[in-house]
Amino acid sequence: MSKRPLPLVSSKMPAGDAGAGGERLFAHGDAATTGRRVTQADKRGAQGGPGGRLNVSPSTRRGSRRMRLVRKAITHLLVVIVGLAMFLPFYWILSASVMTYEEVTAIPPKWMPSTPQWGNYGAVLRDPNVPLFKYFKNSFIVSTAVTAAVLLTSSLAGYALAKLKFPGRDAVFTFTLSTMMFPVFLFLIPVYYILKRFPLLGGNNLFGMGGTGALQSYVSLILPFVVSAWGIFLMRQFMMTIPDELIDAARIDGASDLGIFGRVMMPLVKPALATLAIFTFIGQWNYFLWPMIVTTSAPHLMTVPVGLRLMGTAYSTAVNMNKLLAATVLAIAPSVCVFLALQRYYIKGFVLSGFK
Amino acid sequence: MSPGAISARRSLLKRTLTGYLFLSPALVFYLVFLVIPIGMSLYISFRDWNMLVPLANSRFVGLRNYIYLLTRDELFLIAVKNTIIYATGTVFAGMALALGVAMLLLKVRGATFWRFVMFAPVVTPSVAVARIWGGLYRPAEGLANAMLKMVHLPPQQWLADPDICLYSIMLIAVWSGIGATVIVFTAGLKGIPDVYYDAAKLDGAGPWAEFAHITVPMLKPTILFLSVTGLIGAWQAFDLIFMLAVGGTESGTSPVRSVIVLALYLYQMAFKNLRMGRACAGAFLLFLIVLAFSFIVLRVLRKGGVESYE
Repeated sequence: MSKRPLPLVSSKMPAGDAGAGGERLFAHGDAATTGRRVTQADKRGAQGGPGGRLNVSPSTRRGSRRMRLVRKAITHLLVVIVGLAMFLPFYWILSASVMTYEEVTAIPPKWMPSTPQWGNYGAVLRDPNVPLFKYFKNSFIVSTAVTAAVLLTSSLAGYALAKLKFPGRDAVFTFTLSTMMFPVFLFLIPVYYILKRFPLLGGNNLFGMGGTGALQSYVSLILPFVVSAWGIFLMRQFMMTIPDELIDAARIDGASDLGIFGRVMMPLVKPALATLAIFTFIGQWNYFLWPMIVTTSAPHLMTVPVGLRLMGTAYSTAVNMNKLLAATVLAIAPSVCVFLALQRYYIKGFVLSGFK
Repeated sequence: MSPGAISARRSLLKRTLTGYLFLSPALVFYLVFLVIPIGMSLYISFRDWNMLVPLANSRFVGLRNYIYLLTRDELFLIAVKNTIIYATGTVFAGMALALGVAMLLLKVRGATFWRFVMFAPVVTPSVAVARIWGGLYRPAEGLANAMLKMVHLPPQQWLADPDICLYSIMLIAVWSGIGATVIVFTAGLKGIPDVYYDAAKLDGAGPWAEFAHITVPMLKPTILFLSVTGLIGAWQAFDLIFMLAVGGTESGTSPVRSVIVLALYLYQMAFKNLRMGRACAGAFLLFLIVLAFSFIVLRVLRKGGVESYE
């Protein structure tokens, strides 16, 4: 922390807040620290204009030309090093997935296969002990269903929180934000029990006794995720930016609230919906803890990450290390491909979430 | 935000009904999957229950679950210590690195390409990340030690050495999460008006002074946001440690005692030992830690007058 921090300047600061004059510049640390208002003379000085106490000619800009070149070279070198560090683990698994078993376990390690063994992939896909396609199907069903549900519930709730005025609205929003603070372990055990005792499912009677409830079906993997606090928050933030006039105009034309939501709001928030959809889909596709707990007693519901972990056991020893790595590459591929195709929307989600 | 004058004229009852109609899916969900479960968790934490009998048949034990965890269970306290090291370490080291990388990326061409390279680990399933790094870290056949050898450093046992295995896993966590943090910092850095830097240059401020007096203070809201959200996630870290600790998976090589974090402890307590009461009590203690640390972070970083999302 700096000893003399600049007062935080925020565009959202209420005007006239003595703590943070939006015009304060670092150039006048003395003004900032002594607490006096920044004067016009100070500002002129900061711009190098006449009347200031400082006049710096532009030629004394930092560093000579050679210095700048050196700095540029160092910057590029650092970026390349960081990029390599990020990519190297992927390079290793890609190359090791087409090595022979001997090459994967060679000492010292090999950086490249002598001849790529593309057959590793075929061997994994054909292996009857590893139902990869079933894992993919399960993951796809669960992720798609959760994504559709989250889009619907988030946009409905987001619309109410952003554009409707009614008592209790802000309390619901605060509660939504606060749910993000609860550790997932507060819910795991009760939710598992609730699903087990779910009435009228899986052989249960009306009082939730006698059967397995929702546990042996896709319901157990989908239902606990159909509402997302983060999704509601994202949709609300985005909908706040839509002008009220559009809604009022539609209302004057006699549109109902549902009509306004469906015909006016939804088309306008497509970018946010795309972001939320990708986020939810990839997050659900990669989610591990809950599917593992639920599918322990229901192997036919296993999703890709759970199956991927189990494969380590199916291919019990390093004998099949190379095939195991090929399977891992296949498991990584969908998420990375979806991300590659829709990168722009995905990255927007990170930016949207904190800075509206 | 004040909705327009036209909606304000509609009757209060109608507006209230409409609002809650739109909120109904979320509210029903909150009730069934959040409010009731938290109440149940609290109830379970005062009882001795194994989930095999109906909850009503479980034995009431009062505060004994909490007392056991805090005074008699050494492993729980080790898990608390490891969790604090893991969460604060990964979040703050990750943020420092990400800020450096984000500042570098602003100065080079092809930032989109580099950002993709940084981001690929973020979308990779954690199970796959654990398998990749498990391979890299193998003492004899792994590339990690091969690279150390290139620069003449002694080889490490990475995941098997009780002294460093937690830090080895933290390195993986930083690697897999840094892309997201870089994105957020990049957005924050682009939001700083150039006029500040121009003024500083005219005053002859060096790059370090620019960083300390402009960049960091201006990024305070970003840092606050990332610290709180990052820590909330990191307190609950589970996947990597579950995969890489012995007992988690066949390929795990780390001694459990040196890497166990609260999430793994609670998982084992609940789904391996079937001590649901102790697991729920532990979950509430974890919640208290999350609250306390979030509060501290907010207090420390709020000094600059950062507002909430409202």
